[in-house]
Amino acid sequence: MSYQWLTLWRYADTFLSAAWLTLQVTLIAFALAVALGLISALAKSSPLALVRWVSHCYVEFIRNTPVLLQIFIIFFGLPSLGITMSAFTAGVLALGINVGAYLSETFRAGIQSVPKGQLEAAWVLGIPRRQVFMSVVLPQAARAVWPAIINNLIQLLLGTSLLSAIALPELTGTATVINARTLLYIQTFSIVTVVYLLFSNVFSWLGNVAGRRMFHPALVTSKKRTIGWCPKKWLSNSVKGGNS
Amino acid sequence: MSKPAIMLNNVTKSFGSTQVLKEISLDVSPGEVLVLIGASGSGKSTVLRIMSGLEKSDGGEIWVNNVPLHENKRAREICGHVGMVFQQFNLFPHKTALGNVTLALIKAQKLSVAEANKRGMAALERVGLAERSHHYPAQLSGGQQQRVAIARALAVEPKIMFFDEATSALDPELVGEVMEVMRSLAREGMTMVVVTHEMGFARKTADRVVFMDQGIIAEQGTPEQIFVNPQNPRTQQFLSRVLEH
Amino acid sequence: MSELIISALPTLLQGLGITLLLSVAAIIGSTLLGLLAAVLRTSGLPVAKQIAVLYTELFRGTPVLITLMFIYFGIAYFGYEINLFAAGILGLSIYQGAYIAEVFRAGIEAVPKGQWEVSWILGLSKRQTFMNVVLPQTRGIVLPPLVGQYLSLIKDTSIVSMIGMSELMHQGQAIVDRIGQPVVIYGLVSLLYFAVCFPLSRWVQHHQTRSQLS
Repeated sequence: MSYQWLTLWRYADTFLSAAWLTLQVTLIAFALAVALGLISALAKSSPLALVRWVSHCYVEFIRNTPVLLQIFIIFFGLPSLGITMSAFTAGVLALGINVGAYLSETFRAGIQSVPKGQLEAAWVLGIPRRQVFMSVVLPQAARAVWPAIINNLIQLLLGTSLLSAIALPELTGTATVINARTLLYIQTFSIVTVVYLLFSNVFSWLGNVAGRRMFHPALVTSKKRTIGWCPKKWLSNSVKGGNS
Repeated sequence: MSKPAIMLNNVTKSFGSTQVLKEISLDVSPGEVLVLIGASGSGKSTVLRIMSGLEKSDGGEIWVNNVPLHENKRAREICGHVGMVFQQFNLFPHKTALGNVTLALIKAQKLSVAEANKRGMAALERVGLAERSHHYPAQLSGGQQQRVAIARALAVEPKIMFFDEATSALDPELVGEVMEVMRSLAREGMTMVVVTHEMGFARKTADRVVFMDQGIIAEQGTPEQIFVNPQNPRTQQFLSRVLEH
Repeated sequence: MSELIISALPTLLQGLGITLLLSVAAIIGSTLLGLLAAVLRTSGLPVAKQIAVLYTELFRGTPVLITLMFIYFGIAYFGYEINLFAAGILGLSIYQGAYIAEVFRAGIEAVPKGQWEVSWILGLSKRQTFMNVVLPQTRGIVLPPLVGQYLSLIKDTSIVSMIGMSELMHQGQAIVDRIGQPVVIYGLVSLLYFAVCFPLSRWVQHHQTRSQLS
């Protein structure tokens, strides 16, 4: 078994560049997704019906069709209309547009979660509308949806695996190729699984750290939840001082 | 002197770094109505929850119906033999009033459905809600819900009934109907331990009143002793604040 | 163009049939797996909890394609014949099961502690409490995100095309490979997916409470 792992050492470079490529696609596509998501979310509250409608159609199309289809439409479909592009560009575009739609809904929910009373108070105080959005709504909306944003980032990361279908040498595609050559499928795919897990956990962790630092009050996403099967010591400890 | 229904011996309890109970010793005789009063944080609810087995003590001994609750895993033995009425009712929202009352009879005590329904209806009659047996909690007023909760606790035929601020979550005009049920239970000789802010109940129905303050029993005695002639200055302080309105 | 549509449609509809079959089977599989994992997770037994946590963490952190490939190559490696259908159902069930486990877990943990306490005092066993008191109360919270996961699952069936299953996506791509015309064909494929998914996503949006914000 160890001999076989050693064989894969030859491909260490390939794995590393594949991982790097995956990371690049993820981050650039996510930047695009955030931009699209924000624009689309704001468009939903536009006074112009056409703008609202476009945003609505965008989101509905993306949500109701598979991302793989969207990737194919961009990579195989657009050339027939005269637009050609590399697999990298197509991948970034497709994933960015896809996650952008989901982020759009997330942002919209976040914006709506800010209590209306705050807007009224700000208005009465004479703060201009744009400033209200930047200083009152956006910070609170961001805090409310921060975990969802991180989740979407991770979804995008996992989505890069589908770009193997358009021959982009990212992690999954590379694993498939190496597997075809060495037939060491357990090892190959295990390595790739570990890399994905590593990336997604790092994103999660960074998200938590950022959540604590960036927001007031600090956003602490505790992973532990208790349920009440009694009597257990930790059950009573989770009741803050009891209600005596 | 018959054996106490409940015996607490030097019971301590902390939540995190706060010590909520500091060596509490207390006995409750069968048929006695014991009322615990005190400010929030005094530990009275914790005492009740330890007696009913919902919380484990950190130290000391607790004997309920001769079952040593302080011994590992033995707390389970009193389940189905004591009754607890919660401030938040904790009714099963997806079951009717009768369904709430009979669930434990069918599942835990293994009664037949017919037998359980008979006992359940009797319990609902007892609290005056027999006509509402098919209503869901959402269709009942707060006072009615709490009475169903009492019926549910009574249906298992417990030896001791615990009440944890049973009326604190009720609108004032609904408190009376629940108090009336509790009074009638007391008249029938049920052993009751009651945590409450209703001083009227404590005065008129309690056999003994225990005033708790910061984790210790500051004073205890008959209602006359406590309300008319409190000895401890903390008791006097508390009562003067509470009885003002 | 209409001739193109008419000639392509039967094949695509056949693919859609496979898609729906895959979806239904995987929905059942993933729901069962997810429920099991959630029960293990909230059971209070440390070993069970660890297994459940490992399961959900592992499969929510890896792409479904990798899971599918593991199963696909695994079966071939050990010399068995690959039933694409079975492999697809297995992979999709395992993958979505991890997400559904979290949905169920949130629902279970949303049931107030008091329900557990009162059941305990009344003498109900843990299993009885779970089956008769807690689980019924999770319905309202669990249903919309659950259906949302089913929606994802239907879309994820398209990924099984990458190991050769002739569902809708595969059929569409095969036609494009053969005769081109991606705009029309992809348009048709989109329409078909849309027709299946749209009612579901409307339902979810309508019934969604605050799950967007978690």
